[in-house]
Amino acid sequence: MTDPTLMVDLARLDFAWITTMHIIYPPLTIGLAAFLFYSEVKWLRTNNDEWYRLTRFFEKLFIINFGAGVATGITMEMSFGILFGPFSQAAGPFFGNILGYETITAFMYEAGFIGLMVFGWGKISKKMHLFATFNVAFSSMLSAMWILVANSWMQSPTGVHLENGLFLVDSWKDAILNPNFLTGFPHMAIASFEIGLFFVAGISAWMIYKKRPHAAMFMKTLTASLMALVVIAPLQIYIGDDLGRTVAEHDPAALAAMEGHWHTYNADGTPNTSWNVIAWPDEVKGTNTFQIGIPHMLSLLEDHKWVSTVKGLEEFKPEDRPPVLLPFYAFRIMVAAGGLLMIIAFWALYLKYRGQFTMEGLQRRPWFLRLVVFSAILPYIAIWTGWWTREVARQPWIVHGLMRTSEGVSQMSIAAEIVWFVGFVVFDLLVWIGAWYFFAKVVRNGPDMQAEVIHQSENIPVGSLMTDKIKHQESILIRPTA
Amino acid sequence: MEHIMTITHPYQWLTVVWWLLIGFFLMLYIILDGSDLGAGIFSLFDSNSKERGAIMASMAGTWDANETWLVVAGGAIFGTFPLAYGSLFHYLMIPLMVTLWGIIIRAVSLEFHHHSKRSTVLWDWGFGIGSVITAFSAGVSLGATMQGFSLSSGPVPSFNGGAMDFLTPFSFWTGITAVIAAALAGGVYLRARFDRDTAIYRKAMVWTDRMFYLALIAIMGTVVWTFFKFPWAMSKWIGPYWWAFILTGAVVVFAAWEMRRASRQQRDMAAMMWLGVIVVLNFGAMMATLYPWFVPGTMTIYDAANPSNSLTAFALAMTGFVPVMLAYNFYQAWVFRARIQEFSSYGH
Repeated sequence: MTDPTLMVDLARLDFAWITTMHIIYPPLTIGLAAFLFYSEVKWLRTNNDEWYRLTRFFEKLFIINFGAGVATGITMEMSFGILFGPFSQAAGPFFGNILGYETITAFMYEAGFIGLMVFGWGKISKKMHLFATFNVAFSSMLSAMWILVANSWMQSPTGVHLENGLFLVDSWKDAILNPNFLTGFPHMAIASFEIGLFFVAGISAWMIYKKRPHAAMFMKTLTASLMALVVIAPLQIYIGDDLGRTVAEHDPAALAAMEGHWHTYNADGTPNTSWNVIAWPDEVKGTNTFQIGIPHMLSLLEDHKWVSTVKGLEEFKPEDRPPVLLPFYAFRIMVAAGGLLMIIAFWALYLKYRGQFTMEGLQRRPWFLRLVVFSAILPYIAIWTGWWTREVARQPWIVHGLMRTSEGVSQMSIAAEIVWFVGFVVFDLLVWIGAWYFFAKVVRNGPDMQAEVIHQSENIPVGSLMTDKIKHQESILIRPTA
Repeated sequence: MEHIMTITHPYQWLTVVWWLLIGFFLMLYIILDGSDLGAGIFSLFDSNSKERGAIMASMAGTWDANETWLVVAGGAIFGTFPLAYGSLFHYLMIPLMVTLWGIIIRAVSLEFHHHSKRSTVLWDWGFGIGSVITAFSAGVSLGATMQGFSLSSGPVPSFNGGAMDFLTPFSFWTGITAVIAAALAGGVYLRARFDRDTAIYRKAMVWTDRMFYLALIAIMGTVVWTFFKFPWAMSKWIGPYWWAFILTGAVVVFAAWEMRRASRQQRDMAAMMWLGVIVVLNFGAMMATLYPWFVPGTMTIYDAANPSNSLTAFALAMTGFVPVMLAYNFYQAWVFRARIQEFSSYGH
């Protein structure tokens, strides 16, 4: 038979890859949909055509991202059963329900309105269109909520008990509103806004930096997004700290791994409160080969106290310890990215306060604009590293404390796992490269300033599938290629 | 399976209702996305690039929602029949994986096609080939499910066979049948979607003529093979309700005849509806034959169902959404109902 550890690790790698290649799309969908709703409202309120053109421009980017998210998302929904069959069976009574809720109330909800939002311009009334945009934004957030319910429950599985190999639900309230969800979901929701806003800010800054013909128009979106981030970016750090303390309380081993914290007490018997800035963990010996730490920092972070005991990894049996290296560094990269994003937002506020946040003022500061363009990549890095931290630090458990990953994995042949991996590397990279290539293309082409602004809807109900030929030719939905 | 029954002990009628609903979602997927996939297969044989673009444009506003019915079916299986979800999907690893690849190729081709200038041909091919792959491997998955699979013993029995267990002459044949049936549906759909004076319409006329007979042969073949291969099917069809199956078969033949007539007389919408009737009847007969099996010979719907508490929660929370989902999907399809011209492109 095949090596069981290798099989489990490959299954984790297979799943990690498709998750990593999926999670870059939905948060942007959520953030950008909320932004599109904002800009469409702005257009309807001010009747300023520039907001219409901005909406249509960012919508083009939105739809590329959305398509990529769907293509990679359908995979996710099937993969629980394929790669982690026994887990899916055992956790089905709760986890399966939640995933089912997600597909019915969110995935399909979104699909039912996305076509109207993207292709409905001029086909449906302005109000109906705004309603469609709202529904896309709302349903995508709903989708994130259900996914975070399911994932958080794996981190802190409350409200269930194991009976004959199945997780039976005792309290739906406790299982859905599990401790990790209450901070984990806000953290993800705010991350989605952050990625959406920095995406908008980065592209707007590029337009101004490159002095594109319609750069002035993009001052609107640059100002709106960066000023929103002045609130959003620090809020994210605050919620992140909250989530860290939730993890410390409910999964101390995960926290210890994230911090590379092996020993609860120092050699002299005092609590070890040192927070490692960098370290090289040695998982065999159960300590760090070297480390640079700041005293008292760890207890301040986890307990908000000068001195307190934080459980080290040594208190857990070796077979119950998560890997340390990846969570440790991934966590630090996430924190650094989040901090940098906040600094950029504050910098924008400072420029605004100084009266320099105008197109001319910014064009005199190209390094600031370049920094904002670059910052669009940081939320991606933060989301990746954050999710890796979350998933790897939960190991060796698939459902924390109740089911091990090795118990939840499908018994697959190594060959099948490798075929899966190679195939999805090819297809997911195709999606990713395609999406970013077309992002670049849409941005280079800039907003469409020629197309007529749609002021009223045409081609309103005609009756059967055979609509009036003249009318549909006038329709804006499917327009002749020029 | 004994203790599964004792701990799950589901409300039997809820189990049946959700099994029927999942069948309904799958059937909607087959009807709706079947047409889109078939249009993709058709596009492989259409040498005019503009026409291929127009075919993609014809489903611009709806393909995503159509495809999502598959996800809804998958999600509902996870939510209501997790024991089947965790073992059946594992058994179907390879065909599902290939289906997913097909879906990915097709989705990105549809999205990227209209942004591209130099790479248009690449996305045209992606759209066509993605459609063939999706239809074929989904058909293989359905055929493989009919064959059943081996389960481990233990309180929660899971799949313990090999990765290639799914592949037999029969499942390969159901894959081929799915491609042919989709090709027919695609032709019928394109005829209802395009103006009668377009070249696509004329090509689709010839296409549906040929595919009609091919599909007839393929489906008849599948029915006969099923009858002789699977004792559970044979016993149902010659059992006490034999007349119901005979009657359904007769109505299917009648519907096929009507579809053919409508198609000849260029009543395209009617032809599409008759095709819909055929799918509904065939799918219904398949469900009736399967009952009470979820996977024949492997697990019944009662073995596979969630414990009653979870099933009830799912039913209470979700059943109300089903008509809502149908309503907004219908509205979306209705907005985009107009016939289109071949010079249409996938414009926003």
